[in-house]
Amino acid sequence: MMSQRILLAIAMLLAALVVGVALFWQPELPERPLPKAGLAEGGDFTLQSADGPLSLKDFRGKVVLLYFGYTYCPDICPTSLAVTAEGLKLLAPDELARVAVIFISVDPKRDTTARLKEYVQFFHPALRGVTGTPEAIDEVTKRYGVFYAEQKVQTAGDGYVVDHSSDTYVVAADGRLVGRIPHATPPEQVAEIIRKYLYQP
Amino acid sequence: MKKLSLLATGLLFSAGVLAGAADNISVQDPYVRLAPPNAPATAAFMVIKNGGDKDVKVVKADNPATRVTELHTHINDGGVMKMRPVPAIEVHAKGEAVLKPGGLHVMMIDLKAPMKEGDLVPITLTFDDGSSKQVDAKVVKPSAAPMQMDHKH
Repeated sequence: MMSQRILLAIAMLLAALVVGVALFWQPELPERPLPKAGLAEGGDFTLQSADGPLSLKDFRGKVVLLYFGYTYCPDICPTSLAVTAEGLKLLAPDELARVAVIFISVDPKRDTTARLKEYVQFFHPALRGVTGTPEAIDEVTKRYGVFYAEQKVQTAGDGYVVDHSSDTYVVAADGRLVGRIPHATPPEQVAEIIRKYLYQP
Repeated sequence: MKKLSLLATGLLFSAGVLAGAADNISVQDPYVRLAPPNAPATAAFMVIKNGGDKDVKVVKADNPATRVTELHTHINDGGVMKMRPVPAIEVHAKGEAVLKPGGLHVMMIDLKAPMKEGDLVPITLTFDDGSSKQVDAKVVKPSAAPMQMDHKH
């Protein structure tokens, strides 16, 4: 009997606590960042490829995927590029003809245009690799909201690695930056996103 | 009789000394990602399982195909991937450590010669008690789902 009463008392106390919390506690929830809404301005750029200067403007009418990486990157870039390449393979030939993929080096010191060309074509013939002066790369990455930073790490591998944003940036046929595809998105979804912008009025 | 038990104890003892952490370790699906042309580095991935009762640390990896081998991980910092060396990879007792793209990996730096798809790279893992284990990792093309490669044949 006694223990039942105690239990009841505890239950009521807890209930009161819950009600009290619900009524009076107004926690300041940390504001969640709006990742997708906060797309950077993007815009045109001209950088250097092994086949001469390459401008984003040249691809008006096509959906363009931009990826910022470097050839010394052992894991993240190959994963991203492999996924994109497999996404491209899911497209019909007429769809593929309206898509371009540009790999922009964030390691202009080590990545030459010739090196980039061979590197990207390993993944898919539709890929192009570009680089530029550190200033030009800085300017483009800023406009696209891409973070990159050379990091000296305790590694024997040539002194530094480059931390970099791992998203793939989607530019619509009219040249506007319209979306970001997170790292390791499945190829089917990549193809779907490309199609979404291909058939957008 | 006494001699026999002494011998038995001695045998047990020496077995205990010889048996290292490596004996309890098994490695599943090891593979090396084929480096794209001009890429000076690549990575190996695998699942390291510890069947023993003690936590084991992988403190070193080595392979003959590259000049440098390191243990690395990736930190995903709000979409920015940061690759960093780690001093060791812990494999808990009866547990496993998963080395996979975007995370822990055996970093293979400075390829001595270009690799080919299908090559086998012997990777030696050294554990914190000094014992070691060699695994043969097959070179596979980068793919969106590399773990499935082995089951396609």
